[in-house]
Amino acid sequence: MTQLPDNLRSGDPGLHGPSLEIVALDESSEVSRRRFLEAAGFSFSLAALGGCGRAPVETSLPSPLQPAGAIPGRLQYYASTCTGCPSACGMLVGTRDGRPLKMEGLPGHPLSGGGLCAVGQALPIGLYDSQRLANPLQAGKSSDWATVDQQVVESLRQIKEAAKAVRLVTPTITSPTLQAAIDRFLEPFADAKHVVLDSVSHSAILDAHQQTHAARVLPHYRFEQADVIVSFGADFLGTWISPVEFTAAWSSRRAPSEASPEMSYHVQFESRMSLTGSNADRRVSIAPEEQGPLLGSLAEKIGELSGQPLSEPLARRASSDYGPVLTDLAKRLWDARGKSLVVCDSQDVGVQRVVNLLNHQLGNYDSTLDLKRPSRQRQANDRGVEELIAEMKGNQIGALLVAEVDLLHDLPESDSLTEAIAKIPLTVSFATHEDEFAAVAKFVCPDHHVLESWADAEPLSGLVSLAQPTLRPLGKTRAVLESLDAWSGRPGAAYEAVRAHWEEVIFPRRRADAPDTFLAFWEQTLHQGFVEVESEENLIEPFKIDAVDTLAQPKEAEGFSLVLYQKIPMPGGRHSQNPWLHELPDPVTKVTWGNYVCVSPEDAEKRGIADGDVVNVSISGVESSLELPVLVQIGQHKDVLAIALAYGCKGTDRFAKIGPQWFEARPTVAENEFVGKNAAGFVEFRDGTQQYLRSGIKLTKTGRKFELAATQTYHSLEVPKEIAPRGGERREIVEHTTLDAFAKDVHSGAAEHHFDGETQLWPEDHPRPKHSWGMVIDLNKCTGCSACVIACQSENNVPVVGYDEVRRQREMHWMRIDRYYTGEGEDMDIDHQPMMCQHCGNAPCETVCPVLATVHSDEGLNEQVYNRCVGTRYCANNCPYKVRRFNWFKYPHDDSLQNLVLNPDVTVRSRGVMEKCSMCVQRIEAGKIEAKSHGQPVADGAIQTACQQSCPASAIVFGDMNDQGSKISAALDNPRRFRVLEELNVRPSVSYLRVVKNREEKNNAEKHHNRESHSG
Amino acid sequence: MVESKQKRSAPAVNAPSAEELAALRPTLITGGKRPGDVTRDICEPMDRKPTALWWAAFSVSLAALIAGTIAVTYQIAFGIGTWGLNRTVGWAFDITNFVFWVGIGHAGTLISAVLFLFRQKWRTSVNRSAEAMTLFAVMCAGLFPVIHMGRPWLAFWMGPYPNTRGSLWVNFKSPLLWDVFAISTYLLISAVFWYIGLIPDLATIRDRSKPGIRQRIASIFSLGWNGSARTWHRYETVYMLLAGLATPLVFSVHTIVSMDFATAVIPGWHTTIFPPYFVAGAIFSGLAMVLTLMIIARKVMQLENYITIVHIESMCKLMLSMGSLVGLAYGTEFFMAAYSGNPYEQFVFLNRALGPFSWAYWTMVSCNVLIPQVLWFRPLRRNVAVVFVICIIINIGMWFERFVIIVTSLHRDFLPSSWAHYTPTTIEIITFIGSFGLFFTCFLLFCRVAPVIAMAEIKGVLKNPPRSKAPQESAKGDAV
Repeated sequence: MTQLPDNLRSGDPGLHGPSLEIVALDESSEVSRRRFLEAAGFSFSLAALGGCGRAPVETSLPSPLQPAGAIPGRLQYYASTCTGCPSACGMLVGTRDGRPLKMEGLPGHPLSGGGLCAVGQALPIGLYDSQRLANPLQAGKSSDWATVDQQVVESLRQIKEAAKAVRLVTPTITSPTLQAAIDRFLEPFADAKHVVLDSVSHSAILDAHQQTHAARVLPHYRFEQADVIVSFGADFLGTWISPVEFTAAWSSRRAPSEASPEMSYHVQFESRMSLTGSNADRRVSIAPEEQGPLLGSLAEKIGELSGQPLSEPLARRASSDYGPVLTDLAKRLWDARGKSLVVCDSQDVGVQRVVNLLNHQLGNYDSTLDLKRPSRQRQANDRGVEELIAEMKGNQIGALLVAEVDLLHDLPESDSLTEAIAKIPLTVSFATHEDEFAAVAKFVCPDHHVLESWADAEPLSGLVSLAQPTLRPLGKTRAVLESLDAWSGRPGAAYEAVRAHWEEVIFPRRRADAPDTFLAFWEQTLHQGFVEVESEENLIEPFKIDAVDTLAQPKEAEGFSLVLYQKIPMPGGRHSQNPWLHELPDPVTKVTWGNYVCVSPEDAEKRGIADGDVVNVSISGVESSLELPVLVQIGQHKDVLAIALAYGCKGTDRFAKIGPQWFEARPTVAENEFVGKNAAGFVEFRDGTQQYLRSGIKLTKTGRKFELAATQTYHSLEVPKEIAPRGGERREIVEHTTLDAFAKDVHSGAAEHHFDGETQLWPEDHPRPKHSWGMVIDLNKCTGCSACVIACQSENNVPVVGYDEVRRQREMHWMRIDRYYTGEGEDMDIDHQPMMCQHCGNAPCETVCPVLATVHSDEGLNEQVYNRCVGTRYCANNCPYKVRRFNWFKYPHDDSLQNLVLNPDVTVRSRGVMEKCSMCVQRIEAGKIEAKSHGQPVADGAIQTACQQSCPASAIVFGDMNDQGSKISAALDNPRRFRVLEELNVRPSVSYLRVVKNREEKNNAEKHHNRESHSG
Repeated sequence: MVESKQKRSAPAVNAPSAEELAALRPTLITGGKRPGDVTRDICEPMDRKPTALWWAAFSVSLAALIAGTIAVTYQIAFGIGTWGLNRTVGWAFDITNFVFWVGIGHAGTLISAVLFLFRQKWRTSVNRSAEAMTLFAVMCAGLFPVIHMGRPWLAFWMGPYPNTRGSLWVNFKSPLLWDVFAISTYLLISAVFWYIGLIPDLATIRDRSKPGIRQRIASIFSLGWNGSARTWHRYETVYMLLAGLATPLVFSVHTIVSMDFATAVIPGWHTTIFPPYFVAGAIFSGLAMVLTLMIIARKVMQLENYITIVHIESMCKLMLSMGSLVGLAYGTEFFMAAYSGNPYEQFVFLNRALGPFSWAYWTMVSCNVLIPQVLWFRPLRRNVAVVFVICIIINIGMWFERFVIIVTSLHRDFLPSSWAHYTPTTIEIITFIGSFGLFFTCFLLFCRVAPVIAMAEIKGVLKNPPRSKAPQESAKGDAV
């Protein structure tokens, strides 16, 4: 609790009076800034009616009585839950004058641990989206709720009488209240089903557990307890189930210190390059078909080690190439039994059963996999989806209601489904934008944005959290919960429903130490954001070895295998209208705006294709084919193609003109196209699960070119071989060591700089008497997930510039993650290095500015004075880190609603001026003012930069280097600390901690050992 | 002039006669010209209607200028983004063009001031156009630092002027500020020098013209020149002083321009050899440009007797020596990179020679070092057509030199993650062409309104003594 900001507020009307009344907006008028502020003011007035009624406010009244603690112009934090995906991380919503601005991680949250991913951080721009549906639609035309309700209820009555099927399709619902409402809604119908369709399903894991443990549950994976982690394709640091939680857990075991030189051992077997693979200690590139045999062989080896050999081989033998890897791994796993973890992304239930067997053999259940308190973050049941498709095609459905997922976009054969849907008597979409299903649905009942509505979540059995609205809905939208309740005859506000459900169901499950009265329990939860309660009984049976069968021999097919995956910035079509996410470089490929076909370097060479060649990807026998540009991906297995899902979403053509428009600019979206292409046509239902792996793929060149907009075009720390100077082949920008070497010498891996750090040409005449701000980034913890990039964008009003500007290497992100592949094969070092202004003590940018627009503060910050800058760009040229960003154009700020996302503490830069990371100087100043108002010195940790706050891995430490007791001072003394380009003597204030890989020391690689150069 | 000099300096009884003196002089002006012929020949193009060739050249130049103006207007209206620059390559065509034009502007001062002080009489035929060229080149050069700014309307902030913003002042540590001073000083001194040299000729024009606007203008700007010994005395003193003042500028301007790069931390820029290297390069390119213009002017305006093959040869020799200095600098850079043991520095030079911009590097080496070697051969350097082609090649090479220094150093610097490529946009290319438009438009107009050759000075180096009777048009004896 002490970690929470002291101005944490609860938005509960019961606590602070009715602060959340809803004002009906003119349906014709768009929400103007003035209008919005007016309305935002109302929401703080006590003059209006209580509760969440829809009483229109006619007159403007001042607020003589502010809600307690509300200070105009000051950021207030509300503990909430992020519902950007079903992971349901804890979130702090920073609001200012009634306007939610900044999403942050909720400190102390049992799952997310204070971090928040890029998608969660990007919520505000989705809130202030002028193209969000503001009214219910009936047959594509604007309508009102009364009419829609009346007609839907009438239709439902007829369906009920006719005893026709009712199907409600949603992604995983973690909200207990919404789940109850769904059950209530479906209950009266004779044939009603709730179909769970996740944009990327994990159905096989649940199915496998049903077979091996007689409970269809998703285990709660506990990476923090695993000494040995083996992942078969599961991108658990990027997209798999709950990446923020897993990143926090994984990184907690990646900080070897002098006192305990220990860390987890992580092996990744995968066929494409995932973020998780790029962070593994050992990454083994495998053909996707090899997954089963490898797991089978591993289980056999473990069986031998355990003295309980398997009675029969589980799969065909894995290629003998992997023999030594598997033998070594089996031994490590067996040595770490009970403290190891095997995970797999396969959608083949058979393969998942083998994974369960492995975890059972190793005794991991109840230690690193929790089935007693299972996760509820993914609940898709693909059999249900398969049945639904059959029913739709068979014309057996009376009513189809779809929420939070675009049925037509995410499922294959959308053409035939569209025809089938047209025949369904009642189709209702709850989409916030007109997606593909909404376009054909009879009624569209737009849901609130997640920041506008009350909700709750139970991501983990026994961990329940609340999501509270932080402003009045901007349009005439209605929560799905409210719509369903209205149609099941018990209309009411979501707030009432949530509260009632909590009083009835959650409160009785409270733990012994919880408050005794519901009001106290509710208030505490609301303040804290979450509460842990007793988990529901789960009937888990002991592991059934009989359930594990021999794996079916995969069909041999000519051509490529295709892996369909989620891109980290775009986990689902729900976020396709978010420009921040589209412009966020993929942490692995660094490509923005759209998807592409990843091709291995071997295949690219063999086929004579290069980056940007447009190819046709098709599958024999099926009509689906896609034309996409190629991206040659290092580390991808040969004969494998990979395409990201969740692209090509309807409505993304809105971004065509998002960047500066001038005569040589290329549009972000080509005419009659969308951002990227939809690869869902390749998804196949097999054995009751959605398959994201296809074989027999044909690849043909089209001869056309499409330049991908990537923020990084050179990918190695090694300079090109043909022009490498002797001794300068590799740049020691990221330093590495191995755990063995680190245990022997904590300074191992330090690059040798011909620089003693002591000699200065100039006298030290720039003292930092009060503070000296600095930052340390632990590269061993950082996974490159890029949450910080969006955190910075949101905090610092970084504009979106569009495809063409990124293609021209003019992205504006202040924080970037450099990603390097250095070396070859399994010895390749893959590094992620967050890079932003290093706030150099001897800053090269400062001396060259002719007008003193960039100057040094006496707190060690390199400050950019926007209104003094004339834009010579000399500072950017002279920056060794190339972190300065120039406003090449006047980036559009014409959308007055979208402008509400801007942080009023940070200047919106005009054209022609330079900008860069300010180390969140506005946060530093706010922290200093706060401390001063209490008459106390600035406490260590009281000021957090945006990137630091959101980092799921807690890899960033920021603080006052003058404060000897601070965390940053401790971090600076870390033997792993180094500074990038230290030999230039620019004296950066940002330091990094060396990467330590838990792997054998390379025999040939000569690592310099030079303690002296790093003692200063 | 000759007479007055003799009157002043050689009153001795047995002084050699004018004829005897003339016989000792090298033949700089051919065709047996007498002072009267000089005035007639040089003033004639101004009296005539422009030729068709002039009109053709002027139309092309003006068209280029207009296109350039449109491009710059578009760029200022929309932003620097209309150029091909990016977060890694912050300067490219803009500063390349700036340094290129400043370099061209160098020969003017060199020829006018340095050669004057060294009593190189052959300079008289070319100094006027070289000075004019300097002015126009510096104008073109000055344009780029202004339009390359993100907010060019605030360019005046670069000046240390008293303001109401408290202690807000310019950064005297910044080489860009030094540039402001260096370039503006250079422009001012060059303009004054050019104008002072023009005064006697303006008086000639005044005296030759019929009453009218031209006469009135010439009469204002000739500042009441009356050709008296006193006037000549004052004139020569001022001219000498200005030559003395301008000489350091030949070295200072490009030294300071080179410091834009030399004081930076970027490998390939951070080099102590830059000041002499840039000065040599600037003189090299300036001479090539002067020669290019002179060869054209000589042909078009039938001035073969004034700009003789001797002039061209002298310039070629100077060019050859400067070109060799430049070649030496190229070699030294590579040696220093290898010798420094600095991997970043070494990489930059390997990348220049073998990386993505190697075509630019080898263009530069071929144009500036290899091809000018033909000037060692006397018949070739006396062949006007060959010299013309070589001058054009040198100009191309010197443009590429600046492009190579700026772009190849920036595009792959310290962190490989930020490496980027650079491709110019249409706007950038048209802006560059537009600067040529500005230059040639100014030059062609100059040819129409002022004598392209310093008549007063030419008359001082004539081999033929003046006729006993002064020509009619110099009735007052002013310029004779």
